[in-house]
Amino acid sequence: MGGLLAASLATAAPKIPRLKSGKPDFSGIWETTSAAEYDLEPHSGRADAPPSAGVIDGKYIPYLPAALEQKKKNFAARGVEDPRLKCWTLGTPRGIYYREPFQIFQRDRDLTLLFQFGHSVRTIHTNGTLHPEVTDNEFYLGDSRGHWEGDTLVVDVTDFNTETWLDRAGNFHGPKLHVVERWQFLDENTLEYQATLEDPDVFSRPWSLTVLLNRHREKDFQLIENYCFTLGYDKFYPVPQQGTTE
Amino acid sequence: MMAYSMKTNWLVQIATAAALLAGTQAHAQQPPPGAGIQREKTVTQLEPGRWTGKRLADGQPDVQGHWSNTIANHNNWTDPQGGVPGDPGRNGPPKTPRSERAPSRVSDPADGEVPFQPWARAVQQDFLKYFHNPIKEEYIEPLARCAPAGVPKSFTWHGYEIRQFPGYVLFLFNSGTRVIHLDGKPHLPENIKLWNADSRGRWEGNTLIVDVTNNNAKARLARTGEFFSENVHIEERYIFNSDGTRYNYVATITDPTVFTRPWTATIPARRFSLQDEPDGWHYEVALANQPPGKEPLIERYERICVENNGPFGNIAVLGAK
Repeated sequence: MGGLLAASLATAAPKIPRLKSGKPDFSGIWETTSAAEYDLEPHSGRADAPPSAGVIDGKYIPYLPAALEQKKKNFAARGVEDPRLKCWTLGTPRGIYYREPFQIFQRDRDLTLLFQFGHSVRTIHTNGTLHPEVTDNEFYLGDSRGHWEGDTLVVDVTDFNTETWLDRAGNFHGPKLHVVERWQFLDENTLEYQATLEDPDVFSRPWSLTVLLNRHREKDFQLIENYCFTLGYDKFYPVPQQGTTE
Repeated sequence: MMAYSMKTNWLVQIATAAALLAGTQAHAQQPPPGAGIQREKTVTQLEPGRWTGKRLADGQPDVQGHWSNTIANHNNWTDPQGGVPGDPGRNGPPKTPRSERAPSRVSDPADGEVPFQPWARAVQQDFLKYFHNPIKEEYIEPLARCAPAGVPKSFTWHGYEIRQFPGYVLFLFNSGTRVIHLDGKPHLPENIKLWNADSRGRWEGNTLIVDVTNNNAKARLARTGEFFSENVHIEERYIFNSDGTRYNYVATITDPTVFTRPWTATIPARRFSLQDEPDGWHYEVALANQPPGKEPLIERYERICVENNGPFGNIAVLGAK
């Protein structure tokens, strides 16, 4: 009986890629199809965002009163103040649900996340190491330490700077942001990504968002480096050609 | 030295890690005190051949880890330890005879000079003339604005980490990241131009051979202004020794619109490991925080340079804001 049950469970479990170690292998190029990055919260359609029911458990971000005022200011100034417009590194979790692909390269000791947007690199350590003892690190992407709970990768992320937003609608965080991510396969080409955010200066309680990430399977699909933060000064560097100096 | 928007706290941690390492590790390969960025004066010869060292599960020679060039930074392409000509600062002109400094990075032709066409030599000289007095935006090296150092300058700009995966070799540079495809996918369409170009590689014995196209050609090779055009084609050979302590970067650079003939660049590099002390340039790492009783582990922190916060030429940059 027990054997039969185990056999049927094995059939029901999704067939997913695995490393030699047996851990799930998230290697590949991923991108969400969700509209999360426009605005994590439910919203009607507007000039700069399609409508969406949002991706937050409980619908709305539980801002503290002063933080809610700041969010409103951010929203009003989003066409100018959004760090995305400067092509600055989007941060964690925003980079994960931004609508440009990112690639995961995985070893036993870590996962390397390479984002097409800005071509920045995030390392998620899975080798039992801890957050740095230094407590005043300030990273765009945070310091990421992961461990496995069954087939779910659980990542604890701390040590953030305050240069990043959570979406284009001006949702934001402070330096005490703490993110716990849960990554798992739904099937071999789909990941469920959940992030729980807490920040005692900004939110009244921890809250969670969930998006799906889809594997790029187009023929010969690959990242194309997008150092868009160089575009502002691109014009100063025309490639020299014969006749450019007298 | 380039400053980072992550603030300087990580330097403190590196210093702490260095102190920890100094207390716990043997110093087998310590550079002499005050050696700074410039170290070796000769290029170790390495020959293509069999790889007898460690391999990864997918069969690639295992060259993962932290590396840096052994000679000097990108101040000067053909006289790497000669400083930037015209430097008005304390470095001034070199105080040693040329023969006592490392050789040119141009290993062919034998005279060590880049075989520029006359108009291109004039463009290079023009950039160098204004490097210390950048009266126009174009005289500020793009790297000073946080642009990727590109191919091949990244190999002379700080240390870097190599990570390998089935189908890929990744270079995590101080400024920019480069993906070498071993996966058989074709080059990108030729009208896509990139700071770090498009790299398709394969291993032959101890040598990683990489075909490099799609270079946007905006990153000069050095502060001395050497350059090529978007037409450049580079064939790189990374020749490793089998004990995994050194490699030579040997690149054949072909661009008939700029040079009179193809030429070869050679940049020697060596591995940095736990026995080395982090120095804030060649070896920018920290000691991982671990539960007690574990073997020490080195790790690299986030390296992001997106805002111009005080690099070389910053007066002109900030003045333009």
